Amino acid sequence: MSNTQRWLTPDIKGFILDISGVLYNSSGSEGGEPVEGSIEAVQLLRQNKVPFRCCSNESTASCEHLCKKLGRIGFDIRPEEVICPAPVAYSLLRERNLRPYLLVKDEVLSEFDGLNTTNPNCVVMGDAQDKFSYENLNRAFSVLINSPKPVLISMGCGRYYKETDGMKIDVGAYAKGLEYAAGIKAEYLGKPNPSFFGLAVELLKLKPSDCVMIGDDILNDVGGSQKAGLKGVLVRSGKYRKDDEKRPDVEPDGVVDNLLDAVKQYLNFKATSA
Amino acid sequence: MPTRSLTAVDQPEPTGHKHVKMRRFCMALIDVSGTLHIEDQAVQGAVEAIDRLRASGIPFRFVTNTTKESKRALHNRLSSLGFHISPEEIFTSMTAARKILEAKKWRPWLLVSDEALEDFEGISTDNPNAVVVGLAPERLNYANMNMAFDMVFNRGAHLMAIHKSRYYQTKHGLALGPGAFVSGLEYATGIKAQVVGKPDAAFFHSAIPGALSTHKLNEIVMVGDDVRDDVQGALKAGLSAILVKTGKYKEGDEKTIEQECTFVANDVVQAVEYILEEL
Repeated sequence: MSNTQRWLTPDIKGFILDISGVLYNSSGSEGGEPVEGSIEAVQLLRQNKVPFRCCSNESTASCEHLCKKLGRIGFDIRPEEVICPAPVAYSLLRERNLRPYLLVKDEVLSEFDGLNTTNPNCVVMGDAQDKFSYENLNRAFSVLINSPKPVLISMGCGRYYKETDGMKIDVGAYAKGLEYAAGIKAEYLGKPNPSFFGLAVELLKLKPSDCVMIGDDILNDVGGSQKAGLKGVLVRSGKYRKDDEKRPDVEPDGVVDNLLDAVKQYLNFKATSA
Repeated sequence: MPTRSLTAVDQPEPTGHKHVKMRRFCMALIDVSGTLHIEDQAVQGAVEAIDRLRASGIPFRFVTNTTKESKRALHNRLSSLGFHISPEEIFTSMTAARKILEAKKWRPWLLVSDEALEDFEGISTDNPNAVVVGLAPERLNYANMNMAFDMVFNRGAHLMAIHKSRYYQTKHGLALGPGAFVSGLEYATGIKAQVVGKPDAAFFHSAIPGALSTHKLNEIVMVGDDVRDDVQGALKAGLSAILVKTGKYKEGDEKTIEQECTFVANDVVQAVEYILEEL
């Protein structure tokens, strides 16, 4: 196996981490299992003062709830270190004065407190999980098909992800379904939208080319970050499948076994090139 | 445009009539829901229009993507609305799906409504290796979608869509069709579903009896209210197509497709008048 780690260059100063499949595999709203070595990897980044942010399309929980959940299984991550699409969606709705039908989990409704949701004129969807019923999707469809200027905002366009009890279809599939039915195009917030990676890079006070994104989604994490000017590294954890390394459309700047592998290689590289 | 071998098009058909009528079309395919009836009401004048079509001697079939009910139930329902139709004249996407399952020896996991299950009676569903998606609001939920994804993505099952309609008309307005769920599964798995019903070209072609195979495809006309599944689908399959402004028709629908409708009719009554016009 060729093991080229093109991302290991002196430019790299900051890490951007995907959460699901890189830090942990979720087992539902309350718990999950850390990916092997990831707790240590985050500790190593802190000890060595390598700046990092977590950049997630997670829309099943608020940032705070997510950090608490990660805390319970041993991670030390603060809400201000996490970038999720819900706050981005909230500002966008305010800015455009839109009244959303919110197809999200109940736990996420609080992120949209204060918005007028009567007589909705747009649809905002996240990974609503059990709330992806025919009835709810049909309600979203009704809002779109009866609107003169239909607006569909999706928090992420992921295809699937891994939970401890198997793979789950992600919000992107349901957004594509509504696009097809209503004959419209959705606006996708979160990864792989370049501006979303840009937010993380900005918070690190670095340039895109100074940052590496570590993710298990070859298209949204690796391909997306590369398009935004970052290095994109694929982990062999989470929903990773062998085929991901052979895609004609995305070539990762490196492939690592897990986050700890990436962090160790990086620290080694810095130590030997210093 | 696909063409078929042409042998006797310029010669009049032996019809038994003394005076041979020259008409545009040799056969009509007619959509059911939204065209013949809306919910439990026949479109005004539709029963008589179908009777006139029958009296003309032009053969016709009712082609439908209905996946909520079996062919038998559909026949009963159309009869109770006053239509004079025989079950053989109904060609559904479920009949077509069953034919494919049998030919390929696929064992389906059927995401179809309870009523529709009878059209698949006798087919082995043990250890399924194909996911078959129809219009089943009670079954199209998160858990089943994840199961379907797992079967197709991780266990190599085939993905078949009885049809891929975007939406359908109900008394309470337009409702989400199975196409949304099928295209969602396609996106998640990266695998294209085999679409059985309208607007698949093979579906239109398989609805045409062998006896008419010497005719040009554009002498066969499709009548329907769905600009994509009925009209565009038929046009792409090489047929002629009449759009009716009933059912799910929305103002300006005819301008949303690349090809031009053969005719836009107010309803199926006017469509039949057009079909019966002598040249």
